[in-house]
Amino acid sequence: MKTILLKTNLLFLMIIGFSVALNAQAKKKADKATAEWRYEVECVSTGASGSYLVKVWSYSKKPDVAINQAKKNAVHGIIFKGFTGSGAGCTQKPLANDPSLEQQKEEFFSDFFADGGKYMKFVSVSGDGSIAAEDRIKVGKEYKIGVVVSVSKDELRKDLEAAGIIKSLNSGF
Amino acid sequence: MKIKINTTLLAAFMLLCVSSAFPQAKKPTIMILPSDVWCNTNGYMIEFDNQGTKVKVPDYKKAFQENADLLLVISKINGLMADRGFPLKNAESVLKSLANESAEDAMLTSKGGAGVVESPIDKLKKSAKADIIMQLTWTVNTTGPKKSITFNLQGLDSYTDKQIATAAGTGAPSFSAELPVLLEEAVLAHLDLFNNTLQAHFTDMFDNGREITIRIKKFDSWENDLETDYEGKELSAQIEDWLAKNTVKGRFSTTDATDNMMYIEQVRIPLYDETGKAIDARGFCKGLQTYLKNPPYSIVNKLMMKGLGQATIVLGDK
Repeated sequence: MKTILLKTNLLFLMIIGFSVALNAQAKKKADKATAEWRYEVECVSTGASGSYLVKVWSYSKKPDVAINQAKKNAVHGIIFKGFTGSGAGCTQKPLANDPSLEQQKEEFFSDFFADGGKYMKFVSVSGDGSIAAEDRIKVGKEYKIGVVVSVSKDELRKDLEAAGIIKSLNSGF
Repeated sequence: MKIKINTTLLAAFMLLCVSSAFPQAKKPTIMILPSDVWCNTNGYMIEFDNQGTKVKVPDYKKAFQENADLLLVISKINGLMADRGFPLKNAESVLKSLANESAEDAMLTSKGGAGVVESPIDKLKKSAKADIIMQLTWTVNTTGPKKSITFNLQGLDSYTDKQIATAAGTGAPSFSAELPVLLEEAVLAHLDLFNNTLQAHFTDMFDNGREITIRIKKFDSWENDLETDYEGKELSAQIEDWLAKNTVKGRFSTTDATDNMMYIEQVRIPLYDETGKAIDARGFCKGLQTYLKNPPYSIVNKLMMKGLGQATIVLGDK
């Protein structure tokens, strides 16, 4: 009896360990996808003062990882990629003017985009965070998930300016 | 107490050292004005007879006094620009200040009864001006019950006449939104793009120097002209040689040159002189003025300026 209980516990622990490792690997892959620009930012609205409302399409085998990665991708996209769309104000350039900024300030950005890093301060999921059926697409072995997030771009820009990462409009004057 | 004073003095000295080690370039002023098209469409024009030709000019004062939407847009843009560290000159306030100043000048007398001197050129220069004009245009498009706004914001350099920044586009049509709401949305949608292009202009300025225009003229009382030879070369060529030596990477274009005048455009001047002091068109042209004043030229001349980017040297007199 004791042996069976021990074996069950061991199996249970192994399953948990395996699932944690799998999740960590999926997260690592999602971070790699972010660094490789493997995400899309689509404009929803730029109407609200000081913020952008964007839909971020992220890829992962695990839908939960893709949903969580959306926030990181949104901030990453607004800093380095910009976004386009058909509506007014739906075409915005990235906050970083220098294409090599990410490499130049690698140390800053690795801390900034770490799990639970400072990027979290500037982004929030819009609404209750639920994903519409049409925004959850199975592409081959992985999912492409679209999440609508709000990014406080004014605060983000001010923070990057204060840290000396990007130039402010009045720098040099 | 003595230690406290010494510490304060030391701090002030250090601040002075730091500020002189990192001099700041002269900051351009920016002002928003509605475009001629907008003023004409909305009936804010004055028509007058200029020697037989009917001329229409924008009536900014009337526009500011009567159009609440214009004030809303300007106020919104002013607020957002101030947030970016670039507070704008308010055109309405500038017009009021000019009117007040004229009234005060007319009334001002010294104890001995002397009035303030104002030449015709001083009077002409008394107008609302800024280094960069943000020219604003919007039109309301109506399709059945739907309304949308076409918004156009242009940044114009007052001296080079170049468009240095822009943002334009048409918003999404709406059935219910009121005009002020649509205008506010248009400002929010376009200002970031405008500031991106403006920042690119500033970056270019820091990299390649400030772009200015220079005019050289002569008084009719001066017996020489720009074709007069000095040390085997015409004066205009000597001026061009000086510019080639003193501009950033020798960049300038002589657009017009006759015996009486020269018009030099796209003159890229350094932002600081050799002592590290920030300079503008006037500061740069002071060098040329001194150069022409000294032998072998020994030409008396008058230097006039307009803002940061335009200077005129008139040869032959003061």
